[in-house]
Amino acid sequence: MLPELLAMISSDLFLVLSLLTCLLDEKVPKALPYIFQIAALSGFGHLVVSRLFMTEFDETMRYWYNVFYLGIALTSIVAVNIYLATSKENWTLAKVWSGAVTFPTMIISVLSVYSFGYLQGAILPPLLPPMLLAFTCIMLTVTVGVLLGPRFFDKSREVRN
Amino acid sequence: MNIRLKKSSKFFIVLFASLLIGIANAAIYYSMTAQPSLSIIAAKVVFVAGNDFPSGSSVGDNSTWVYLALKGYPNTTLTYDQPLNISNTDSASHTFRLRHVAISPASGQPQVSNFTALNFLVQNTAGVSQGSFNYTTTGTTWTTPTTMSPMTLPAGESWIIFAQTVTAPSANDVTATIQIAVDVV
Repeated sequence: MLPELLAMISSDLFLVLSLLTCLLDEKVPKALPYIFQIAALSGFGHLVVSRLFMTEFDETMRYWYNVFYLGIALTSIVAVNIYLATSKENWTLAKVWSGAVTFPTMIISVLSVYSFGYLQGAILPPLLPPMLLAFTCIMLTVTVGVLLGPRFFDKSREVRN
Repeated sequence: MNIRLKKSSKFFIVLFASLLIGIANAAIYYSMTAQPSLSIIAAKVVFVAGNDFPSGSSVGDNSTWVYLALKGYPNTTLTYDQPLNISNTDSASHTFRLRHVAISPASGQPQVSNFTALNFLVQNTAGVSQGSFNYTTTGTTWTTPTTMSPMTLPAGESWIIFAQTVTAPSANDVTATIQIAVDVV
């Protein structure tokens, strides 16, 4: 397994984001799908550069810049989730997004990063696994928070009344 | 002019671009993982000195090459029954063949006429011939052998390389150097 697998996952995440925002074009800025396409294309450039300089760049360096790119992709997913929840106050869509996109993506990404670090032995600093675990817990809490948002309680009350 | 794309058209354009980028990414990643690797292992088919190993001869490092100092006397046929063995140390059979590489003195040199023939014979464990590899002369011209047909050396067996030198009546203090390659498959 090469560190570039993380870049490929990130680029695919951008493509998924592009398709989803294209479907939700009335709820997000019109340019967003194209911005994500460009971000995915930059992932392709990223892979080409990695391939050209595979012997010059050591594995630790390649690992970290791929993790950075993955971080940008995950941040974009969370940002779209927050945008849907706050700017448009579309709680139902935000809940669906967090359950169907944000949370699974986070889990898969954390597992990929962690398993890569595990396979490569000493490449991970000792603090990274607990940091990743904490990040997953935070995301889980946020996701559950969104799922059990104010509207959820309102609807529960409505059902009881 | 304001061009408005329908949502479905826009989606298909994005989908098509996504497929292209995704395939290109996968191709680049695959080309990175499909790097060739090279491992060096000990030779499975090796040379072993035989019962008739001529003095002055030597088996090289890792038994992958051998120098055989064969002698000849004027107007004599000298036979080495078992100067060299070729041994398969692997647990699987291997195919090998003998191939001529070079000989000196080269054809056209007057020294060539000192030799009549240099014959090599590959025999199995029971002494049955598996193929011959003969050098002959016509005047000062060598007739070199063609590459042998592949022979299958069974696992763990040693075969014999039989050698014979035949020299001319007028032969006198001359040395021939032959380079033979053993191709192992």
